[in-house]
Amino acid sequence: MSKKRIMFSPVTRLSGLLSVEVVVDRGVVSIANAGGTMYRGIEHIMKDRHITDAIYMTQRVCGICSLAHGAVASYLLDELYDHELSENAQYLRNIMFAADILQNHIRHFYFFSIPDYVKMPNQPPFEGQNLIDVRLSPQDNARLLEHYFRSVVASQECHQLLTVFGGKAPNQHSFVHGGVAVAPTADKVNQALSLIASVHTFVKECLIPDTELIARVYKDYFKIGQTPRRLLSFGMFRFGTKNQLSHWQGGMLTGNKISALDIQLITEDITNAWYLPVDGQVLPAPYKPGAYTYIKSFQYAGQPIEMGPLARMLINGFYRGGTSTMDRIKARSLETLLITELVMEWLGKLVPGPPPIRQKQKLVQEQAVAATDVMRGSLLHSVRLKDEKVEEYKIITPSNWNFSPKDKNGQLGPVEYALTGTIIPNPKLLNTILGRIIRSFDPCINCGTHVLNAKGEVTDKIIF
Amino acid sequence: MQKEDYIKRCRELAVGSGFQLSNYVLSEVRGYRKSKSRKLPVIWIETSDSGDNNIAFMNTTYPYLGQVFTDLIDLLYSNTFMAAQGQDALNILEQAAVKLRGKFTLVVEGAIPLKDNGLYTIIARTEDRKLTALEAVTWLGPLAEYVVALGTCASFGGISAARPNITGSVGVRKVLNREVINVSGCPINPDWFVGTLAHLLLYGRPELDNLGRPTLFYGFTVHRHCQRRSYFDQGQFAKELGDIECMFSQGCVGPKTGADCPYRQWINHVNWPVKANTPCIGCTNEDFPDGSSPFFTPLPEKND
Repeated sequence: MSKKRIMFSPVTRLSGLLSVEVVVDRGVVSIANAGGTMYRGIEHIMKDRHITDAIYMTQRVCGICSLAHGAVASYLLDELYDHELSENAQYLRNIMFAADILQNHIRHFYFFSIPDYVKMPNQPPFEGQNLIDVRLSPQDNARLLEHYFRSVVASQECHQLLTVFGGKAPNQHSFVHGGVAVAPTADKVNQALSLIASVHTFVKECLIPDTELIARVYKDYFKIGQTPRRLLSFGMFRFGTKNQLSHWQGGMLTGNKISALDIQLITEDITNAWYLPVDGQVLPAPYKPGAYTYIKSFQYAGQPIEMGPLARMLINGFYRGGTSTMDRIKARSLETLLITELVMEWLGKLVPGPPPIRQKQKLVQEQAVAATDVMRGSLLHSVRLKDEKVEEYKIITPSNWNFSPKDKNGQLGPVEYALTGTIIPNPKLLNTILGRIIRSFDPCINCGTHVLNAKGEVTDKIIF
Repeated sequence: MQKEDYIKRCRELAVGSGFQLSNYVLSEVRGYRKSKSRKLPVIWIETSDSGDNNIAFMNTTYPYLGQVFTDLIDLLYSNTFMAAQGQDALNILEQAAVKLRGKFTLVVEGAIPLKDNGLYTIIARTEDRKLTALEAVTWLGPLAEYVVALGTCASFGGISAARPNITGSVGVRKVLNREVINVSGCPINPDWFVGTLAHLLLYGRPELDNLGRPTLFYGFTVHRHCQRRSYFDQGQFAKELGDIECMFSQGCVGPKTGADCPYRQWINHVNWPVKANTPCIGCTNEDFPDGSSPFFTPLPEKND
């Protein structure tokens, strides 16, 4: 087989729009260009708005992880206004946040990943599946298919739990700066306990055994889609009156060494992204020659970094394993189980009382940075204000990191690295293999392609 | 069967023993439904939005998502759900558009960027071509039986077209010279969307308001049906978020927002923003978000 350029597009079953171009040279992927093909410009939209709009506005960056943006924006505003958070507020916030993560992980596994491994019925929306590498027994296949439809209810229950407190989902209303606007009352706590019990049962009886089965049957994927062992997490589930504590620890994992984070070491690069500097601003440039994505590349200490549930589980010592396609899937399912247990524990800590919210009206500072891990990795918001209005709002999402294009030194982002070198034993298997690797990162291109640094330099700029 | 015969048979069986009547009625109804069974063929294109509407759709209850797929719609193309990928997916799209011309419902989820030939949203790429949202919608729109704009971005531009709108995004109706059914919301309540699809399947085109939205869901303002209307009428306003009084003081735009949130509520109908002690931010409106901003400033003092 000679050298061949192939456009894998659209990469379906993910959030947003993704096209991946590969060159296959004698049965091996020699080049991979991962392209996010949507640009919205939320950071431009945030400019000149009142800072308190940030929570509801930035939730609209992403549908599948909306609360994540609301949470980070709330932490940002808590700092700007110097809020004090009550214990009830801390528990409620984390319960709601956890519910949205559970929703994400369950939907990712069943709706997005399962059709990569399980033969789906030949009817819409599953027609044309073209899954050649089918390995499950008919009985196992039928069981997982049944679980696909059970996951519909389990994931809906996650959002119902979130809505009991949050008013609606996606784009909840009550988790705002200063606390949570809804009272934890006996009836709501009881409803939430019932919902999480049901979700927990589903995770224990379906998600975990299904993950183990797929990991056993497709164990070659512990060698496929590997990345360098460089993973980062900002920590997840903030506690403390000032959001200063993190239930799960963050850090930079290099090999087996964990080091403390320094956000000053984050840099961005637009070499292969559809952006150009114009009058001191970086603006989208869809005709830029050679570029192939609206996602910029980000580096930590000069190197591309992977993030997500695998990073969290490795850094916190819950999971031991590698950095492959199947490790990512296993770590995400393990995290799902752990989070259901946390929600049950936190619900037990709530003390019935009034809405745990206190919003101050006067800003104590005009600049802040907030960061935490969310569904897919580390999310960062930063802002600079003037007269309570946004002068500059920056968002760096997990998919910015995982789906980074090649930087000016030709360094591959994690997804491109994972794809490059992959053996394609049969040309008909190309999409199946690429799809499995790509989806293990839980792509969210809606998130990835908003980022724009309004006053950036061209490349290699330290952004803080 | 004629109505008279049916009633006669029911009368006879009403005095019969066991469950003769219900057995008879159920089998007749099943037979009728089977003879009428048809699903709505749907092509769903995701354009410039956050994907929150497909997540909202997954939250539908009665019918749940699985039932929607098996009983209500044939979801032929959907970036979110379809098992097919790459060129296989594009082939399905092209074949469905030809084979079901004039019969499929086109669902567009997201705004349409116009600037730079629409290159800010590319649905799919081939080796030599970029299929933009603008091209896809102007190609498929005229071929569809119905066009449904899903969410506020698709209906009116929404967040994607918020100022300064550097991508030049617009709602679907601005790029198609035909009727578009707008199901606005950021995101939509799944009942609004699934209810609209059901209406198309069972009864055809629903009655629309002057913004092209089904009056069934958008016909009255949030304010009119709000549980806290009595507080408003008595001039009792919330002092801060978390209070139980009227949220008008906290920026609520319920008075200018057509939607049935107060009585329908969200996610299996358990809650909605005002019940959560926060203002309605008018996410179904033509001028959302700019007309609702700043969200926590009372309506008469807002920007736009």
